[in-house]
Amino acid sequence: MPSRRRPSGDFQAWTEKTLPTHLGAIRPVETELMARLRDLGYDEDHRFAVRLAFEEALVNAMKHGNRMDPSRQVRLRYCANPECVEIHVADDGAGFNPASIPDPTADENLRKPCGRGIMLMRSYMDEVSYSCSGQEVHMIKYRNP
Amino acid sequence: MAEASDIIQVADRDGVAFVRVRSKAILSEAEVEAFGAALERLAEMPGQRVVVSFLGVHHLTSLVLGALVRVKKLLAESGGDLRLADIEPHVYEMFTITRLDRMFRIFERGDEAVASFLPPAET
Repeated sequence: MPSRRRPSGDFQAWTEKTLPTHLGAIRPVETELMARLRDLGYDEDHRFAVRLAFEEALVNAMKHGNRMDPSRQVRLRYCANPECVEIHVADDGAGFNPASIPDPTADENLRKPCGRGIMLMRSYMDEVSYSCSGQEVHMIKYRNP
Repeated sequence: MAEASDIIQVADRDGVAFVRVRSKAILSEAEVEAFGAALERLAEMPGQRVVVSFLGVHHLTSLVLGALVRVKKLLAESGGDLRLADIEPHVYEMFTITRLDRMFRIFERGDEAVASFLPPAET
């Protein structure tokens, strides 16, 4: 789905990082992004939402995409400006079809221990889309949706 | 792996295992593993009644929700139960979005959750 409003990323440098497939690598970049959002004056609701989606996307890329294979990497790009936060996360896995993920809120799935990450990302971000291969997720949170 | 005692503190309250989450945010794999493993150890006692208090916890991930679902299932198999309390609004919203607020009994305060396991006092 195309963005209804493109973030003004042209004047804001993108931060690009390549992360090892190690969950411990998430917290430093998350701390960095949260500091950036605080500097930009994003409120607690926005910071909670972005932090949650950011964490879920990176965990998914490492656990489900790269299968925790240390020889694989995760590529992260984000841009935070006064209007919005835009995040791309790509893994080296085989990809997946997001439509194939069962609805975790359906009665038959409620007692299953996994499958809620993507739903939370969709709930907390304004836009969430996947590349055709399913190896890359792209998310946007607007300051004023 | 993180030590369970860094993540949670367990106390007996009238026969109910009262679990206080000590970490303000349970995020890393090690923390989630320690959290889940500690609760699963509690679930080894048949019929165990457990309250988890999230007082002061401001951030969770879906991995923690999954651990809670797994432990509730284990406890239910032996006639026990897991109830939750002291969940701040942002975190509570994660339970409503995922409909887990219908699966768990969630109380505003930890003592209310403990009392819900006890027989009503005679008047």
